[in-house]
Amino acid sequence: MFDNLIARAIVPIAIAVTGFVVFGCILLYSLIQSDMTDEAVGHLDSFAETIVKSTRYAMMKDDRESLRNIVENVGTLAEVEQIRIYDQRGQVRFSGDSREIKPSDDIRPIDGWMKQILLAEPDNQTTTQHRIDREAELITVAMPILNEPQCSTGACHFHAEDEQVLGFLNLGISRKPLEKTLALLRSRMIIFSLMVLFLTVSGVAALLSRNLFQPVLKLTFAAAEAVQGVAAKDLPKADSKLGNLEKDFRLLVQQRDQAWQDQKTASFLLKNGDHGAIPTTTDRDEDAGHRTATPPGSGKNPQA
Amino acid sequence: MPDIEPLRRQVQAKIRKLELRANSGLWILALFTALSLCAFRDFDFLPSFSESLRASLGAGPPVDYINWALVLYGFSAIILVLSQMTGNKEPSCRSALGHFGYLSAFYAFYHFSAGLPENFWAVFTIGMTILSLLSYHIWNHYRERVREEQEILAELDKLLEE
Repeated sequence: MFDNLIARAIVPIAIAVTGFVVFGCILLYSLIQSDMTDEAVGHLDSFAETIVKSTRYAMMKDDRESLRNIVENVGTLAEVEQIRIYDQRGQVRFSGDSREIKPSDDIRPIDGWMKQILLAEPDNQTTTQHRIDREAELITVAMPILNEPQCSTGACHFHAEDEQVLGFLNLGISRKPLEKTLALLRSRMIIFSLMVLFLTVSGVAALLSRNLFQPVLKLTFAAAEAVQGVAAKDLPKADSKLGNLEKDFRLLVQQRDQAWQDQKTASFLLKNGDHGAIPTTTDRDEDAGHRTATPPGSGKNPQA
Repeated sequence: MPDIEPLRRQVQAKIRKLELRANSGLWILALFTALSLCAFRDFDFLPSFSESLRASLGAGPPVDYINWALVLYGFSAIILVLSQMTGNKEPSCRSALGHFGYLSAFYAFYHFSAGLPENFWAVFTIGMTILSLLSYHIWNHYRERVREEQEILAELDKLLEE
């Protein structure tokens, strides 16, 4: 099935083109996914930065009402799935979901990253933490809310100057819009790849068939006819796509016909001397075993 | 007339050898599929390296660099196999094993750079493409050689009958 001329020409092209197009699409999709996730994380960072600045100002003024209000309002945004402000002990003090705020005597273990930030040198305390939670479909950012000189010296405030971290902000947005965009991109890429594959493979197959396979099949049919004894003039008409091969083949058949004719004439003269009529071309053809060709049709060799 | 039976047996042995070689590409394809199954699970059944060994190996290359290396490798490997096919060069099992080695290295690099889950399908697709092309080339080449040997065998059989 795969070792004839047509398969040998089409199969490698089909495999190479299909494989490379699918590979290219997968890699492109993976790169776009990574770029879009980075973009979403960048957007989330600037969003969190804005919230940190607002909350820091509210903290400086010791305006807990404003702080609660900021957190609750941000929490109502459609894309925001979670917003929490932790204190230095890692306990949730403000949250978009009021059920998450625990009484001050309910102490939970502090998150490892928060502990690390609290113990770090002041220069390393600005590090943010990004998490992509595929199960909960969340992209979260956690960043420390740092103390500032005007904050520590504020008359209203109780934070000491050496307490660099006032608390932590944890902000999470849903991955669903990103996943939706990626799903749309994926389906469009699949449709586009299928179209490219279909056009490439069928285009190459059509060109090969028209310029190579059909002329070869016609020549094969003509050769089979010639073997059966059909004369050169009765062979199916040829096109010029195979160039000299076609011409040389017909020349060979004509030479064979000529040789048969000469042989017939010689044997006739030998038998009857100079008295008999020399046989006509038609007579000679019939005597030589020539038969009329079947009309040229599809170009397919009936015996193949 | 000389005894042609030893020659006949020699040709038959050669046919069997060529038939085995014709299927070697498929074996490598199966090997790659097995490796891909392990890679799909991110090699979670293998014990992880100790911290000291990991530190001595250093950090893996950035995933972007591996992606570009994979594109370059995939493109040149396909061109190489197609040119081998066009030039009707004898394919070797060693070159298929070489491609298997390169693809395994890509899986390993992605694994150590923590980018395997996102890029598994890219390596799998390009690997299947290259190895399928190579298997087809190997199969075609050796099937042709088998056919030639079978013709010789048929001639020898005719001689035996006479």
